[in-house]
Amino acid sequence: MTVSAMGRGNPAAPPAAEQDRGAPARKTVWPSVVTNLWRLLVVVVVLAGWQYLPMIEPLKSRYHVFDPFFISSPTSVGSYLGKLFTGSDGVVSIWPYLGYTVQATLIGVAIGVAAGVVVALLLSQYAALARVMRPFISFVNATPRIALIPIIVILVGPTMSMSVITAFLVVFFIAFYNGLSGGLGIPGPIISNARLLGASNSEIAMQVRLPYVGAWVFAALPNAISFGFVTVVTAEILTGQPGMGQLITTAISNSDATLTFSVVILLAVVGSLFVLAAEVLQRRILHWWDR
Amino acid sequence: MQGVPYAVPASAESGREFVPAANPDGVHNGLRGPHTTLLDKVSFAYDTGLEVFRDLDAGFSDGEIVSVVGPSGSGKSTLLNLIAGLVAPTAGNITRPPATGDSRHPMAMVFQTDTLLRWLTVRENVALYSRFSSHNTPNSSMIGRGLRRLPGVRFARTEIDERVDELLDLVGMADAADAYPYQLSGGMRRRVAFITAVAARPRVLLLDEPFSAVDEPTRIAIHQDVYRVIRLLKMTTVLVTHDLAEAITLSDRILVFGPRTVGLVGEELIELGAERDMLELRSGDDYLKIYSRLWSRLSKQIRRGDQQRTGGDA
Repeated sequence: MTVSAMGRGNPAAPPAAEQDRGAPARKTVWPSVVTNLWRLLVVVVVLAGWQYLPMIEPLKSRYHVFDPFFISSPTSVGSYLGKLFTGSDGVVSIWPYLGYTVQATLIGVAIGVAAGVVVALLLSQYAALARVMRPFISFVNATPRIALIPIIVILVGPTMSMSVITAFLVVFFIAFYNGLSGGLGIPGPIISNARLLGASNSEIAMQVRLPYVGAWVFAALPNAISFGFVTVVTAEILTGQPGMGQLITTAISNSDATLTFSVVILLAVVGSLFVLAAEVLQRRILHWWDR
Repeated sequence: MQGVPYAVPASAESGREFVPAANPDGVHNGLRGPHTTLLDKVSFAYDTGLEVFRDLDAGFSDGEIVSVVGPSGSGKSTLLNLIAGLVAPTAGNITRPPATGDSRHPMAMVFQTDTLLRWLTVRENVALYSRFSSHNTPNSSMIGRGLRRLPGVRFARTEIDERVDELLDLVGMADAADAYPYQLSGGMRRRVAFITAVAARPRVLLLDEPFSAVDEPTRIAIHQDVYRVIRLLKMTTVLVTHDLAEAITLSDRILVFGPRTVGLVGEELIELGAERDMLELRSGDDYLKIYSRLWSRLSKQIRRGDQQRTGGDA
């Protein structure tokens, strides 16, 4: 299993299992041609079903999910996406909206990850502090962050800062919890060894604990970034920030299925690109962690 | 290597039998010659109340390699932690070699489990001691270290670089200097862990079953390297092991520990010379004699430990 695969799905997953270490180096194995042909077939079947099933009149009249008014169609979505990208035919250009959402996500994730590393380092270094803070942290983490949006709006106004703060609140805890497991899970002999070789407490924190905390936080990066992205879009839907969320709100109030699906597909693509970028970054930074 | 690079205890006799555990005239157990590391009536109990040592006396001389064997739970690893200062005795005194003002570290330990830092190369791991501020040489100042790490900045090789390269060479790891730990085999990692401790030039080197996880042929090859390095640097060494063969081939003296709270029950002097061929040694008569004698002593303690655990004996 790769570092990134472990990181996803379970926020507290370690970057790589210790027992994996003896395993031979793994190479990226490209899916075979056959696998790719099957994948292509899946795409074709889904798209064809979406396009042509609504043409069967009894299906269309009985079920909303087969009515193009509700689900649009691949061809309309495709041509609408083209218009969104070019801003032609009286359709708004997608770029300012996309830029707004992506910017809020990246800032929120960056601050959340950085804060997660710092707090995880502090709490794993000072066990007494961790004991005091643990219940408060669990309590805040149990609070649905989306429910805090009204308060954040009152505090900073319906601005990009609001989206950033909301994303930060989600990302911080993902990063923090993973970092804390990393910082607390350092084998005792590694700390003792550094101490015997002359490390002071602060040197142990910066030169031994920090790399562990950082590695575990980076293992959670693909997770953190996709959660951050979802949170920003949700905040935009709720507050009408001029991002992708606002486009969805507009589409819904106009009963515009084509716009809705265009935006949703675009969000899925951008979300996947975020995760991919996070995995690439992670592989580069954690190159020394077992492969 | 010529001659004997360390002081052979004057009172040592060839093939000497066990000395009694408690010396009536109050002399410390195994106290021969000038002991620089001394445990004086040391007791230790865990927070849970579990007692490990009661009034333990033991001493280690400069340049001496001493192995500690005993049944499981006899407190062998605790002994090392006490000497290292990683845990404090509940009673008694531990004297360690005095600091002399140079940059030498008082203690270094090779642990049973992996302690290599995975984000550092082999070379960087071995030089780990030089990253810490307690190691104050001009070349290891904060700024100096920072500058040396900048790409393209080349400084004259420091004493540290030379020491690290020399040690890597001594254990046959020169080619792997720039590898990361995940790229090494188990035996190679053990070699690196060993010279990482040695690089700090500790006054006492503590080895806590460091080779138990490698296969026998690799272990014997490592023994040869370890023995050569320790003798070359004349390091006082305390080795805790379950492997009698390891204890015999590497040591000058073996301390036998009884089960929990019993402490030191006897010792065995190993006089197999300063130059040792680890492979050849194991088939020699002297070795075999020591082995069987030591084994009978140890098995007695193992039986005692079993009885202690099952409550058959008090």
